Amino acid sequence: MDTLKQQLKEMIIKDLKLQGVAASEISDTEPLFGDGLGLDSLDAVELVVLIQKHHGVQIADMEEGQKAFVSIDALASFIAERQGSG
Amino acid sequence: MTQPNSTGNRAEVLGHGIFYLVLKIVGQLGAYCLLAPVVAVYVLCSRKIHRTTRPYLKRRFPEHGWLGLRLDTFRLVHSFGKVLVDRAWLGLDRQAKLHGEITRLEELQDIIRKGKGIILLTAHVGNWQSAFAHICSLPKPVHSLMHYEAEAVAKHYFDLRNEPCPFNIINSDGFLGGMVEATAALMRGEIVTIMGDRFLGKGPYVTVDFLGAQVKMPAAAYALASSTGAPIAVLLAAKTGRGRYTVHTWDIFSPKSTERAKREQEYTAWAGRFAGALEEYVRKYPYQWYNFFDFWSQ
Repeated sequence: MDTLKQQLKEMIIKDLKLQGVAASEISDTEPLFGDGLGLDSLDAVELVVLIQKHHGVQIADMEEGQKAFVSIDALASFIAERQGSG
Repeated sequence: MTQPNSTGNRAEVLGHGIFYLVLKIVGQLGAYCLLAPVVAVYVLCSRKIHRTTRPYLKRRFPEHGWLGLRLDTFRLVHSFGKVLVDRAWLGLDRQAKLHGEITRLEELQDIIRKGKGIILLTAHVGNWQSAFAHICSLPKPVHSLMHYEAEAVAKHYFDLRNEPCPFNIINSDGFLGGMVEATAALMRGEIVTIMGDRFLGKGPYVTVDFLGAQVKMPAAAYALASSTGAPIAVLLAAKTGRGRYTVHTWDIFSPKSTERAKREQEYTAWAGRFAGALEEYVRKYPYQWYNFFDFWSQ
């Protein structure tokens, strides 16, 4: 799980092109959107695409998005759960 | 919700009732005949309607004086009234049908067949129900990203026809503006329609030039296209006769954002392209763009 969290942090920084942010600075529990990491709805679109592309997991609707995008912890659990059930 | 307790609201309810009755008895043409004098009286007596139409009409017809703008207001409100009559007629009479065409249909079908999804970017023009009749005949599920009020209107329309809504509505007031669901639909190669002309105070927007002044326009469509690789087709419907319309495929383009720092600049360029298409549309159909408020001060 820790490896997955690290991969997610690195993916967010690299593919969302976040400037001046290191993976070590992203907390596992801080919110990804709004206060916290500060991602916005435009980033959400990219994140949905990236998660499907890199992890083969689709976030299909608002309910799943709301559950998965709480934090790095939540996102990693969501992906692991989906990969496990798939 | 406002209850019909004031005299004005009661008059409005009575007016709707009379139109529904005329539609039931004599049909669309009868309602059109009733519409012209009703709109004429409204335009002569109401100051409010001129305040709401003036920001657009002054920009669209800068050369028109006091009388010209009043005539323009009549034509704009009359045209909108016909759309409302058509909507009610289609809802009340199951035999009622509008006839029309969609331009560049083969190109749209080709894109859909490639499986990348497509964003149909439209605006508050013409009769959108007519556009949807065509869109829903495309060979993939259709989703419409819309806010609550429009969602209620859409549901009401299909309730009137006693038909299931032929497209899935994604509520743009939901989590992250409905962007997650719209992205997932595009990634399944499906169709997402978005109104590109009206910024409702929520979600991402950019500022572009439209009819000679700056205006905010939503940026969601460009973000979705750029991330998913789905092209954007600008679809603008126009009423061309009593029972006829054309859905124009005005433009097709594929936005691709290069880097985060340039995102706003790039979205502005694409929204400017859409605004340019809409300007061409209002030059051709000046009385079919229905935004009855100061679009430039939103």
